[in-house]
Amino acid sequence: MEADEDLAVQVPPLRSMNMEKRKKVIAFFKELGFEFNISRFDDRLIAQKLVCLLDLRGINLGYPCSIYVRGPYSPDLTDDLFGFTSEFESLETKARLSAAEKETAGDLGRIFGQKPVHLEVGATYGYYALRQNCNPLEALRQVKRLKPFYSEAQIALGISKAKEFLFRPTPKDLEELKMETGVWQRVSLKSLEK
Amino acid sequence: MVQNDILSILNESEALNAKVFSLVRLKLLASLAALGSDGATYRELKAALDINDGVLFANLNVLKDMGYLTSGKITSEGKELELYTITTDGHDEWKRTRTWLCRFLHCGA
Repeated sequence: MEADEDLAVQVPPLRSMNMEKRKKVIAFFKELGFEFNISRFDDRLIAQKLVCLLDLRGINLGYPCSIYVRGPYSPDLTDDLFGFTSEFESLETKARLSAAEKETAGDLGRIFGQKPVHLEVGATYGYYALRQNCNPLEALRQVKRLKPFYSEAQIALGISKAKEFLFRPTPKDLEELKMETGVWQRVSLKSLEK
Repeated sequence: MVQNDILSILNESEALNAKVFSLVRLKLLASLAALGSDGATYRELKAALDINDGVLFANLNVLKDMGYLTSGKITSEGKELELYTITTDGHDEWKRTRTWLCRFLHCGA
């Protein structure tokens, strides 16, 4: 009897949490100007990779990604895209993004746009580099294994975009870069003085 | 009463479709079941599962003929591709197979 009472208390919050995470994703789509259409294969792909890239950037939307035949992918998101299609297509949400989330969405939109190839390559590379802790060469190898139908140029561009979006230089990185390039800068300044 | 002896478990397999029990078909059903209504394109299946064209095409067709998969043309970035999706029957068969395999392997462990 006690267990039933517990269940009665737990079920409504779970439903509300599921709705909340869905509404947050819709808020991101809205911010990105992404007009989702369930009948378009590319739109379903874009939706998956946007959520995965946000997850890799540290924004937990409640749709964890793992590797499937289509690369990093969330079956839970697929269930919601098909289960609540009208909400996603009409961008119906009252959820608001924080300033930091808006900034991240801005970066995502600016760097990737809504190009399926770049998003797919970028998300796959990011997943292997960050989630599987693969070194850059191994992450590249995995991208090429899963996406051999993309050209070298498309893969290179997608990876470069992933690096720009996911790997923010730390103050230490910037200092090291300054030290590394400082010598060359000084030499070029001296040659200008002559 | 749940029977856990090996003979009972082996006899339960009679309720399954024996034609599903090939490595390629199991791989295909497992992969497509996880993607639900979204499905996967031929080129994605070929690359991720590392199956050659002849074997992949033949096995996809067998699963289609059994009513476990459907296929159709989609367009992605201007290219026409073949998309494969699992059906409700395919999903049910995969669930039955998976449940039985779990019982069978646990029994043998």
